[in-house]
Amino acid sequence: MRNRLQLVVLLGALAMASAVASAQNLRGWRESSFVPTAKGEWTGQRLPDGQPDVAGHWSNTVGNHNNLTDPQGPLGADDEAPPQNGGQNARRVKPRNERAPSRISDPPDGQIPFQPWARAKQQEFLKYLNNPILPEYVEPFARCAPGGPSKSFMWHGYEIRQFPGSVVFLFDSGNRVIYLDGRPHLPSNLKLWNGDSRGHWEGNTLVVDTTNNNSKARLGRSGEFVSENATIAERFIFDASGDRFTYDATYTDSTVLTRPFTITIPNRRVTDKTPADDWNNLTFPAKHAGNQPIIEAYERVCAEGNGNHGQVVVGSK
Amino acid sequence: MRSAALAVLALLAGSALGFAQKPASSPSIPRGADGKPDFSGIWQSLSGADYGLEPHLATKDGPPGAGVVEGGVIPYQAAALEQRAKNFAARATADPRTKCFTLGTPRGIYNSEPFQIFQRPRDLTLLYEFGHPVRTINTNGTEHPDGHIDFWLGDSRGHWEGDTLVVDVTDFNGETWLDRVGNFNSDELHLVERWSFIDRNTIRYRATFEDPKVYTRPWSIEVLLYRRLEPNVQIIENYCSTLDYDKYYPVPSTK
Repeated sequence: MRNRLQLVVLLGALAMASAVASAQNLRGWRESSFVPTAKGEWTGQRLPDGQPDVAGHWSNTVGNHNNLTDPQGPLGADDEAPPQNGGQNARRVKPRNERAPSRISDPPDGQIPFQPWARAKQQEFLKYLNNPILPEYVEPFARCAPGGPSKSFMWHGYEIRQFPGSVVFLFDSGNRVIYLDGRPHLPSNLKLWNGDSRGHWEGNTLVVDTTNNNSKARLGRSGEFVSENATIAERFIFDASGDRFTYDATYTDSTVLTRPFTITIPNRRVTDKTPADDWNNLTFPAKHAGNQPIIEAYERVCAEGNGNHGQVVVGSK
Repeated sequence: MRSAALAVLALLAGSALGFAQKPASSPSIPRGADGKPDFSGIWQSLSGADYGLEPHLATKDGPPGAGVVEGGVIPYQAAALEQRAKNFAARATADPRTKCFTLGTPRGIYNSEPFQIFQRPRDLTLLYEFGHPVRTINTNGTEHPDGHIDFWLGDSRGHWEGDTLVVDVTDFNGETWLDRVGNFNSDELHLVERWSFIDRNTIRYRATFEDPKVYTRPWSIEVLLYRRLEPNVQIIENYCSTLDYDKYYPVPSTK
């Protein structure tokens, strides 16, 4: 192994394998319950342009994108099968009431309010997740596609950078700009992996209107999806301590849904004190002569290093 | 009285002369709160450098160009010159751009698509349209990390020399090309960039290449970067690597 970056890239390429491996390393970070941050005034640090200062490295605290509605649970029959080969294949999972709740905070049953055809399609995607006999069964994230507006927060740690007029998210797979300057959305026929986002601050909350979604990224490896007619109302609600924020995203899409639903994801700041785990914390101490701790993340480039994880199907078209 | 008037005249003449001699110092350029030039904005090269860094005639797959290499010729070692010829012959499929791979540094700067600079005192964030990757130029006094690391975009550490941003870039992976006609570098490339404003809407970008595996001596390019001023200009994500398969999502059409 030439360097640590290759390890990071390898983890990105082996998403399924890392889901198993990382679950064993993250006991200190992952939590099975959380208190959502309340919307209110911002009393913390501000940037010169007046924005609440929330720049830095962050990661979600409940789990990866494996299972949208049971973030710390198994995924489908494969995951629940008895351990084989010395216990390598199945994860040991806690009882449901000791695992984190569904990321679907509304409706109250924790499930996406699919129209019947869409529920059937989601079940089909899940059934063939590990046996993708058609190209559409390959989960696009496995091909290093961007994670989309919500699922990007269910993956590795990420960085927020703030500038006058914009907030920029650097994800492990893809990057996203939220414009704060009131410009109009792009023409509606331009559909994008991460959509087209316009935001503004209301107290401690970054309120974002995300349109132009191509909705090609699934909402989880569990197969949930919406259509390109979906719009997303996102709220990033920051705690004044600067250590936590809650991500809420309300999806509206009459093509696929019977009513809107909301995804809720808790997030926590990664600092120089955060244990290195190659998952939530992808930062390294920067080399410099000063005394203050500076952490930085290396470049995140995925598609080029991902030779045969989904491109097999593309090649056989 | 007379001497005072002469002094005023001399002062006026001097300032007029100074203005005429040093126009570059007078136009107002954008500056951040820290007083440094502020390169924030969307920029694009019209140099045609991506079609060939050296002077070249038209081909079926590219327009002619006078080149951007100082002295006109890249000083390749003999073996590297043979490799460049192989690259050229295979360019239709071997150019990493045709595989939607990250273009690298400096190709990301002068390729035919725009990029956006977001600037803070501690760093510059470069968001390229092609592939939508981000390159960070750290300006916070940090140094290159230990050991060689294979980065697509290199590791960039910058500092200010007056109004010029000087960036030292190392830790390349050697898998990128410099243009569409096969010019290339190895993982041992050491690049030094110099970014400076000509006026508020034009950046002079210079880059000097050293690579003991590929070149016989250091060499340089210079291109101008123009600010995109269209009212609706925005970097639109171009996740090129997804284009081969995006037709299968979100749900395949049944038509």
